[in-house]
Amino acid sequence: MSDGRTNRSCLRRTADASRFDVFRWLFVISFLSAPSIVGAHEIGTTKVSATIGTTNYTIDLVLDPAALLAKLETLADRPRSGPLTPAQYQARIEALQAAFLSHVAIRFDDRASRPRFEYLPRGSFADSMPDNPTTATSTSATIRLTGTVPPGARTLTWAYGLTFSSYALTMRREGEAAGATVWLDGDHSSIPFKVQAPDMPLSRTRIAMMYFGLGFTHIVPKGVDHMLFVLGIFLLGRRIRPILCQVSAFTLAHSMTLGLSVYGVVRLPPSVVEPLIALSIAYVAVENIWTSELKPWRVALVFAFGLLHGLGFAGALGQIGLPRSEFLTGLVTFNAGVEAGQLSVIALAWVIVAHWSNCGDWYRRRIVVPSSAAIAAVGLYWAVARLI
Amino acid sequence: MIANNTRKRNATTFRPIVAAALIAAASATVSAHDFWIEPTAFRPTLGALVGLRLMVGQDLLGDPVPRDPTAIERFSFYRVARVPGSEQPVPGREGADPAGILRVDAQGLLIVAYHSRPHAIELTADKFEQYLGDEGLDAVKHVTAGSPVRRVAHELYSRCAKALLWSGTTGAADRDRPIGLPLELVAERNPYVSASGDDLSFTLLYEGKPQADALVVAINRDGPSRKLTARSDRRGRVTFRLTRSGSWLVKAVHMIPAKPETGADWESFWASITFDLAAPSAVPTAARQ
Repeated sequence: MSDGRTNRSCLRRTADASRFDVFRWLFVISFLSAPSIVGAHEIGTTKVSATIGTTNYTIDLVLDPAALLAKLETLADRPRSGPLTPAQYQARIEALQAAFLSHVAIRFDDRASRPRFEYLPRGSFADSMPDNPTTATSTSATIRLTGTVPPGARTLTWAYGLTFSSYALTMRREGEAAGATVWLDGDHSSIPFKVQAPDMPLSRTRIAMMYFGLGFTHIVPKGVDHMLFVLGIFLLGRRIRPILCQVSAFTLAHSMTLGLSVYGVVRLPPSVVEPLIALSIAYVAVENIWTSELKPWRVALVFAFGLLHGLGFAGALGQIGLPRSEFLTGLVTFNAGVEAGQLSVIALAWVIVAHWSNCGDWYRRRIVVPSSAAIAAVGLYWAVARLI
Repeated sequence: MIANNTRKRNATTFRPIVAAALIAAASATVSAHDFWIEPTAFRPTLGALVGLRLMVGQDLLGDPVPRDPTAIERFSFYRVARVPGSEQPVPGREGADPAGILRVDAQGLLIVAYHSRPHAIELTADKFEQYLGDEGLDAVKHVTAGSPVRRVAHELYSRCAKALLWSGTTGAADRDRPIGLPLELVAERNPYVSASGDDLSFTLLYEGKPQADALVVAINRDGPSRKLTARSDRRGRVTFRLTRSGSWLVKAVHMIPAKPETGADWESFWASITFDLAAPSAVPTAARQ
């Protein structure tokens, strides 16, 4: 990558850095990490800017009329014109506007829009005029495409097939000062641009609720391994105190490592964390088979395992991302969501086995030992699978 | 270019072959675009300002590339009639199109040369192979075909474009000459004392030495679909009978394995030379050789 320009296909967001939308953010991340092929063409003089209103859109292409006419004439199998006056360029390009329009694709969601064509003899190449405009002239013209935005349209996609060079496309919603600029290579389609104004900046409450939900769903239903670990804690004994002790130790520990990891203080690769989490599941389950007492080391071990699980949560939160403006809110509510998910697993388990847990030995033989054995087996299997 | 299904065919004016070739060529390979210098006039009068546009495209249909100082390795012109070594930088403003402007202050043949810094590009194995085929890079194709792994090709490419201009009436004996581009096409005869229908020979030089067995293509502005192609001989020479008058582009591509420190797989050089050929009636017989 010789000149740093090869990264230009990345989406540049201007203007609304303070706004946050987790889905847009995820989308951008997926776009950046997609195994895209970078085409580094020379950057041409063509510029495209789209302004999207509530009912109408305007797309201006500032381009070189001579270069455009040559392509249109070749497409129409006509002899190529020599240098012309601006009025002649206008007349000839207008006559070939059907060929032009057939190489433009404006799509609202999946529907193609057929725009109105207008040729404006003056472009706005800021720097294109040479020192002596009477001889070595460079002209530019604007082609303005206008049309209606279909009601309910969500996205606009743009493609232009009559340029060989890379060009900048700026998409802007009417009434907004700045837009988003993407670099497109020749025939490439733009990524879909959101037509409707984004939601108002999310309030702290919205962010808190969103991250609480993300934390909760990270356990139920997505985090089967965490659920099994919590079940392992639950299955130790029938009394509430040992469970509370373990849950408290676990919560304290995973909150610590989640926070420290998100702030970059501690870091362990998932290749280490994930197999250890699986082993921790196997361990608590195996111990449940040997004993129903809360041994002192058990709390210490659960605390240590909590440290590991916290790193796992941090990995998940790292993939979701945290809003810069509400970093702590997101972190705390995500952790709270994780906690709520774990407590709900315990509550549900409690409801299911409460009936038998008074049956003493029977509960242990028929419920605790078989379930723990199954959990241990799954934990061991994961530990091996995650190592490979 | 754009997908076929968005094109509306106009039955009366549409000759499918030309348009299909244009579109297929443009869409098939993202990197196989030619690069050439297009002066605002090939035969400027003495004292005139000539705009030198850098064009990227296909079949002499292209888009102007504005001046980018970070991309320029060398952008200069030579008055052949003057003493050898009279290289002058081509002035121009950053971001401007034409990328260069020069005032013609001498009669005879003018050589304009543009050498870009290398650009990096990544191509899928399919696109890379197709482009090797398009540009006749058989030696490279032989290497990649032997490789069991099909993966993205990392390439560095640089442009080595020349244009020949002619001013005034004297200097019929002026010749194009090698000016030291990594890959360079050198016209043997002065095209401005030749005419359409003449045989014109070109020598392809890589690092100053003749490059044999390279595909050299000649394209006329008014008949780009009727390309002339030839393989350079052992002395790097090709000869074309240029039957049409008007602007011509002669081009060739050379590719070598990239140096390890570049991090790329391949490094390519894109030579082009543009000039204008008069109809026989416009060239005095005395001037022709």
